[in-house]
Order: sequence, then C-alpha cells, then structure tokens
Amino acid sequence: MTDPGPDSSAPRRAVLPRSSPKLVTGLALITAIILFGVTGPLFAGDPDAINDIGLTPPGGGHVLGTTQMGQDVLAQIAYATRGSLYIGVLVGVMATVLSALFGIVGSYAGGVVDEAFSLFSNVMLVIPGLPLVIVISAFVPPEQRGAWTIAVVLAITGWAGSARVLRAQTLTLRNREYVLAARVAGEPAWRIITVEILPNLLPLLASQFVFSVIAAILSEAGLSFLGLGASNSSTLGTMLYYAQNGFALQRGAWWWFAPPGLIIALFGCGLALINFSIDEITNPKLRAVPRRIRRPRREPAPVGRPSQDVVVSVRNLSVTYGNTVRAVKDVSLEVRRGEILGLAGESGSGKTTLAYAINRLHRPPAEVTAGSVTFHHRDGGDTDMLALPSGELRAFRWSQMSVVFQGAMNSLNPVMTIRAQLEDVLTTHRPQLSRSDRRARCARALELVGVDPARLRSYPHELSGGMRQRVMIAMAMLLDPQVMIMDEPTSALDVVVQRGILREILRLRDELGFGIVLITHDLPLLLEVSDRIAVMLGGEIVECAAAEEILARPRHPYTRRLLESFPSLTGERGAFVRTGEATGGAR
Amino acid sequence: MTTLDVQDLVKDFRIRTGLRGRRLRAVDHVSFTLSPGRTVALVGESGSGKSTIARIIARLERPTAGQVVLNDDDGGRVSDRAYRDHVQMVFQDPFSSLNPFHTVEHHLIRPLLLHGQARTGAEAREKAGDLLERVNLPARDIVHRRPHELSGGQRQRVAIARALAPGAKVIVADEPVSMLDVSIRLGVLNLLARLQREENLAVLYITHDLATARHFSDDILVLYRGRVVERGPADEVILAPRHPYTRLLAAASPDPEARGRSFDIDAAAVVAAGEAPAYDHRIQS
Repeated sequence: MTDPGPDSSAPRRAVLPRSSPKLVTGLALITAIILFGVTGPLFAGDPDAINDIGLTPPGGGHVLGTTQMGQDVLAQIAYATRGSLYIGVLVGVMATVLSALFGIVGSYAGGVVDEAFSLFSNVMLVIPGLPLVIVISAFVPPEQRGAWTIAVVLAITGWAGSARVLRAQTLTLRNREYVLAARVAGEPAWRIITVEILPNLLPLLASQFVFSVIAAILSEAGLSFLGLGASNSSTLGTMLYYAQNGFALQRGAWWWFAPPGLIIALFGCGLALINFSIDEITNPKLRAVPRRIRRPRREPAPVGRPSQDVVVSVRNLSVTYGNTVRAVKDVSLEVRRGEILGLAGESGSGKTTLAYAINRLHRPPAEVTAGSVTFHHRDGGDTDMLALPSGELRAFRWSQMSVVFQGAMNSLNPVMTIRAQLEDVLTTHRPQLSRSDRRARCARALELVGVDPARLRSYPHELSGGMRQRVMIAMAMLLDPQVMIMDEPTSALDVVVQRGILREILRLRDELGFGIVLITHDLPLLLEVSDRIAVMLGGEIVECAAAEEILARPRHPYTRRLLESFPSLTGERGAFVRTGEATGGAR
Repeated sequence: MTTLDVQDLVKDFRIRTGLRGRRLRAVDHVSFTLSPGRTVALVGESGSGKSTIARIIARLERPTAGQVVLNDDDGGRVSDRAYRDHVQMVFQDPFSSLNPFHTVEHHLIRPLLLHGQARTGAEAREKAGDLLERVNLPARDIVHRRPHELSGGQRQRVAIARALAPGAKVIVADEPVSMLDVSIRLGVLNLLARLQREENLAVLYITHDLATARHFSDDILVLYRGRVVERGPADEVILAPRHPYTRLLAAASPDPEARGRSFDIDAAAVVAAGEAPAYDHRIQS
C-alpha cells in the first residue's frame, strides 16, 4: 500500500535482459566463438592432413603452427570448437528438458508425484557426477562412444541441480493467485503449466540452460583429456588430450595447447557474463544501482527552534528518484513532544519516502534535493540531520529517533532469540552498560509494550504476529528516543490486535513523552488516535490540521474524498452505498 | 434460480510438528445459502476460516466433510463438469491474480472460450471488449496492456471481468478491495453491486471490514476460528450485535467519533468471547 515509487513508472517487466557492458561483452565473446565454430571448418583445411613439418611454431603457412604430426592447429581448433559446441548444446537441451520435466511437472502435480520426482532428483544430485561419468564412459566400448553417448551421459548426470531450483520456483508460482484463477477458470493442467507457469520461468530456464552448456563443455573437455571422451569426434578436450600425449608442454609447443584452453576459458567466461544478465531479470536487486553519494544541493540551514515543544522541524524538503520523479515536494512539518502526528496518504503519495528521508534512510536513486531536517534536543541543542556524518548518524538514529517499518514484525532475525536481538541494540549503542543492566532494560522494554519478559528466551517464530510487532516497537523504544516514526505499524494485523498495540503506544507516549509520526492509509484510525493529521497527495502535504478539525471541517477536496471513502460502521447509510459508481472513479 | 447451498462444511488441515501430525479445524460445520441478487458477507479475522470456505466453494480445496451443492434454474443439481460455468471467484491481490506475462485480453479470452461463451477467437475478442466496457474500463486502450501497466483498481476490474466471462451466476469475492487504495475501494464495491443488480448475481463477500460488510451485503455471518458465531441481516448484526465476539470486533474498529475512548481489549477476552454460543438473528430474535 505504500510502495515509495509511483506505480506508473514501474519498469516494464523484461523478458529479455537489459543491455549492460557485461551482457555486451558476453554476447560478443559467444557470438565470435560460435561463428568460428560454425564457419571455421568451411575455410580451414583438413585437420587430419599429416605433414612432415611437425611442431612448427606459428607463422608462415600455418597461422597457429602445427602439431607433432604436422597437422594444422588452426584447422584442428575450428573443428574442435564445432565439436565442443555441438556437445554443449546437446547436453544443454537435454538437461534443461529433464530438469523442467522433473522440476516443474512434479511440483505442479504435487502429492505423491512430487515426492517421487523430488526423491529421484535428490538421489541423482548426491551421485558424484564426474566419477559416474568416468565409470559409464569406461563401460561403453570406445568404438560406440560417439558424441551422442557422451552427451546423454553428461545430461543424465547434470540435470538434477536445475530441477531442484525449478521445483522451488514452481512451488511458489503454483500458489500465485493467477494460477489459482486459471484453475478456477477451468484451464486444463497441461495448459496451466505451459501457458501460465512456464513463461514466468523462462529467465530461470534460460539461465539453467546456459549453466548446463558451460558445465557440459567443461566436463567433456575433462573426460576427453582423460581419454574417455567421444572416440570418433574431435573436441577441444580431445585436442588437449593429444597435446598432452605429444608432450606439448615439455617441448614448449604452447601453440598446440594454449589456443584450445583459451577458447574453453573465453566461452565459459562469455556464458557466465550472459548468465549474470539473465539473473538480473529474475532478481532485479542484482542490478547495479548507480551509487552517487552526492551532497544535497542546499544551503546548510538548520532551522531555529520554532517553539519549545517542537522536536523535529522539516522545512521545504524535496526528495527525487533519479532526477525524474519528485516523490516529496517542498514539504514542511513539525513534530512536537508527546504528540502523535498522523501522516495519511495512499500508495505513491510519498509518505514512506518522506519518513525515510527524515531519518536519512533513503537509498539511491532517492535523493534529498532541497530543504532541511532539524532535530531539536531536549536540552536545547539543535542537530542538522542532513549534515550529520554517517558515523554520528548511525548512533543518532536509534537513540534519538527510531523507526518501526511496515511489516517490521517480519524483519526479526529468525535464528536469534528475542533477547539476543534486543541486547544487540544495547551493546552497539550503550557499550558501557553491564550485562545485568542490559538484561534488565530488555525485560523492562518488553513489559512496556505488554509482552511477558519470559518471552525474551523465545525465537521469533514462537510469537504471534502481534507479539512480534510489539517486540519491534520495544526495540525501537529501547534507547529512549525522542521521536518514533511508525510506518503502517499495525496495518498487517487484525483489528483486535491492532487495538492492543495502539493502546500500548498511547500509554507509552503519555508516560515517556516522545513524539510519534504515525503513517497509515487508515484515516479513521488517525482521526481517533492522533493529535494532528497531515494529508499527503502526490508528494505534497495538502492539508495539515488538528484531527478534530480535519473531521469536522476538511478543507482540501482530497481530504473530503478520503473521508468519504470510509463508510461509517454505525451511522446512517450514506448515499454512496450500493447505488452505483457515485464515488471513486476508475483510476 | 441458481442457488448455491453450503451444507455443514468441515475442513481439517494436518499440521506437521516434528514427527507428529496435528489436526487443525479451519472450518467447523458452516452452512449457508447464496441466492440470486443477494450478498452474504463472511466477516472474521485472519485464521477464522473465511478464505478456506471461499477456496472450497471455488473448488480449489476439497472439504473434509459436508458439501457444496449448486442448483440450477429448475432446481436440479448442476453437474461437476458445468460447476465452473456458474461459480467464479475474485481474488484478493490484484497484483498477483493476473499473470504478469500475459495481456489483459488473454485473461478474458481464455475463460470465454473454455466455457463456450465464444466459439472463435474473433468472437472472444469482441466479447472481451464488451466485458471491459461493463467494468468501466476503456477496452480499446487497455486490452493489449500487461498487468504491470495498470493501476491496482484497473487490475481488480479486469479480475472482476474475468470472473464474469464464463457467464457465472455465483461470485465469490475474497477480500476484493483490501489491497486497493482506500479512495478507490468504494468504486470497486459499487461496481460489484451494479453488476450484481444487472445480472442477478449471488455474491459471497469475504472481508474483515465490518463497515463495508454492513453496507454492501444483505446478510452477515461472523466467523471465529472456523465457527459461525453470529448470523443475521446486515444491519441487525452490526447495529445490535448479540454475540460477545461480534461486539468485540465492532468495538475494535476505529471510530473517529470516539476519540479518547479506552482501548481495553486483551487476548483472554477475545478467547472468552469466541467461546460463547452462536446467535442467529432470524431464529432467536
């Protein structure tokens, strides 16, 4: 409900990787090698033609010199590259088909089929690949050991890892609502798999394909080098095998073994680069975000204290995403001690961006382009938040101004006890505290939010969502901050639980007197609990007034529209009810 | 008169805790009827079993006991094969209920063809356009777009059009607006209400929001841990709740008029309230 970026500018979901230096380099390498492999043999002479000029260094009639038997190395490489590519693609196709069959079909079918397929893949996975390949290759008589035999053996030993990855991904996809919707629509299972699920797995499949091609070419080279490769075909591996047998290294005939090795290395490198780019489709977080740490273009202007009880002043703050989207425009507001300032707005209104920027938690490409955030200490000093060096900022953040994020209850570390996580905050920020003091403070913090201190020994999964959220609030209060920023702290919770947490927040506010910025889309909630409400629309605060004032005399049309969006539980039935589309149009 | 009878529905889930299995009763002997032109709201907190009931009606789950019977205009029971011609579902999350890979058109053409509402591709495309117009979307503009190019409200309208495509007479709407921005929620609910009137649809509206349940449904069933604790006409259940759990839910809803009221609700009170015997306004009043 509060994604910071506006929805309309969401990048088009890519099927093809985005152009990047990595991708271009990778594609260039691969294209060059494939072109060489495909067209090279057409121009090169007979690779097996024996000459009496054995082991000639490069130059003259033989661009890359000759082998011991006087064969042309360039011609040999051309044919060997073609052979290696052939096996690589064969294995890639077979392994991908096998992994798709066992990974996707099994996990979609579920139940016994899934268990059986999954068991089979796991068994195949623990069988050590190369030794098995060696055994199988050794078992097949050399005269029957063609490229196809090797390819089948490599495919059989190489698909299981991909199948597991595909299975995991399919398991999440099959419970997506669009797959359920297709089932409700009555689509047959084969169509759901091929039309609804498979396209969404394409990036993953492509990446698995590329990976198995690399693996196949390397394994084949290894096998051939050991003399267990395809007998009647020439690959880069067989070339190395003959070079080894011909004592190329000892005789210093580098032109015999270096070129095939280099081609293998470059091919692997190129495919790996392509794979990086494909991975970025499935996981956009891998995309390198240009990290410009640029000082905000603004005058260093910490604001003087407007009045004694103000704790944070925000003046004319603007935040942009990558110079194009202005998420927060010229926002000014004040937070007072002991008050709850409600920040109401819908997705894309900039309310979360604003909260992050106040705390300087925003990340590139978000950037503060103008304005100031000043923190007024209880004892009289002022701090310019935007000018704070990062070391001081870190200390400042938790102890003076803390944040409870949206869905914070899911951000507890699952493998640490509650106590360890609370104490972690204290050991970082209050290293002078003794162990017993730390424990006492943690217990006290949990008591404050209404959680039994015995729960300190629990792990997060042993607590309910409401309790975890309370723990997060306790953590935010641990260092007795003067301001707490809460971004949808209770939106994911049931109303009854939400009530309990709000009660604790209000009680603590009365006891400890910190200021609270409460961000939510739930206007009725803000109207009931907050002192003042700021309404955000399109990055601007369109109205800011006391809660009673907003309820009784909303000035801005958007505020009125928001108010009308919540039908009253017990009041009169409004005109909007079940009469057609009077309010809210298509958006 | 297509009516859907939910009869004594029970659903148990097996939960594996270590080696031992444990049984969790998600739905506990729930019965109700959906009839044309009427909306029944299922209200409850997370874990109350309301979504499980929706999934059983949409045949995404099998009930442990009890049955869902669909009767057609003549009162005869609709065959399993034709069941999905009549019963369709609108999902909660419009961001995941449309396939990111496919266009809006794909989402509408497939059900039209599958359920014999269109014979040829051209006919299906034309009908898809009509469906989009009916949910107030500019068909020509939108039909070739992919889900990420639409706003949340537009996506949910497409999802509603998809549910109507097979010619369904019973619509199960599982929290259809809870993921949408507040200012467009009423618009979508009103759209559903208008379509219901035009088509004489039977609607099951599943929500945790008491206020919209009251305003957009005829009857309300309040669920607590799989059990119906209170049922009756919408206004009676909300304005004169008789069951302690319903009262608790109503008291916990934010109320701008009640600033500064006390907040005292604790977990024990909820459990105690949930244990009270069920109340049926139609029988007991």
